[in-house]
Amino acid sequence: MTDDELQARMRASDPAASLPLAAPHEVARLLEDVMATELTTESRETGTRNRGPLTWLVAAAAVLVIAGVGIFGVRALTGDDDPAPTAGPVPSATHLEVSAPAGSAKCMVPNAEVLASADVAFDGTVTGIVGDEVTLEPTHWYAGDPTETVVVTAPSVQMQRVASGVSFETGGRYLVSATDGQVSLCGFSAPYDEGLAAIYAEAFPT
Amino acid sequence: MDESRRERFEAVAPELIEPLRRFLARRTDAATADDVLAETLLVCWRRVAELPEEPLPWAYGVARNCLRNAERSTRRQERVAARLAQQPADPSAPEDLALHEALARLRPDDAELLRLWAWERLTPAEIATVLDITANAASIRLHRAREKLKDMLRKTAGAAGHEGSREGRRP
Repeated sequence: MTDDELQARMRASDPAASLPLAAPHEVARLLEDVMATELTTESRETGTRNRGPLTWLVAAAAVLVIAGVGIFGVRALTGDDDPAPTAGPVPSATHLEVSAPAGSAKCMVPNAEVLASADVAFDGTVTGIVGDEVTLEPTHWYAGDPTETVVVTAPSVQMQRVASGVSFETGGRYLVSATDGQVSLCGFSAPYDEGLAAIYAEAFPT
Repeated sequence: MDESRRERFEAVAPELIEPLRRFLARRTDAATADDVLAETLLVCWRRVAELPEEPLPWAYGVARNCLRNAERSTRRQERVAARLAQQPADPSAPEDLALHEALARLRPDDAELLRLWAWERLTPAEIATVLDITANAASIRLHRAREKLKDMLRKTAGAAGHEGSREGRRP
């Protein structure tokens, strides 16, 4: 047997031969989490300070692992940091929450059929972000009872990334839909674009 | 945040992930592989300034150390037991039992040299980086390990009937 033959024989039983490629979005998340790790431990001021960087990394890895099957609450994960300031009685506000998608984390392409089942849908602009509360001023309601403002409770920026949530920025225009007070993720709620607006219009004919 | 660090890591890390995933899949179970991959990347991120021009062999070396640490935990022992019960992982590719048995009978260092050579396709100089030995030592030890493995496989081939009956008993 030559060296080449030996190598060929070993390669024929390479245990990694059937390993599928990692999904690009998982790779991206993993890298983001790795790069976020150190900063998190240095700047965190709440009760999670004593967790080592590895805890966060393992948590992130765990998120990757369970993404295919898991049900996890981002609000539970973010837990004690940044407790939401108790919102005063704002007149006529709709309150929504962003949490991780329950069930399969695989995202379908946004479509009108699924969107039509949302009980709140609107086109609005972010007017302020305080703590983990994002306030939007709706300019058009596709579904739901119109209110002057909408307050979305969003998890911390880091967890948003992990949960592929929506990144709200002040002044940005967004299309947001929600079911049972939970903002629909996976592309159903996103910064305004005409393609998504067309889907919204189709889902909620006037 | 140090932007140059981030840039360097972002330029290098994506290229490391697939090879590292494969490296780990060849050596441990899926759950441990995920943990160790994350840990390895964290080390690369922390030590991004030390990354050599060709970072992969260096990263394999880091992964190897991280894996060894992980292997000390008892949880991993349980996972391995579960994994062995499930083998073969890929039913479409019949396991080369004789080869795996021969590799298992080699000294662990020799078997690792051969894996790095055949599966990771590293040159002796790169293997030297992974194992933290000299290129010369890697070259000599690789040559000897290959000869040992060939010798073992020749002997097993002589006892082919024995191997056949064993395969027949596998569920």
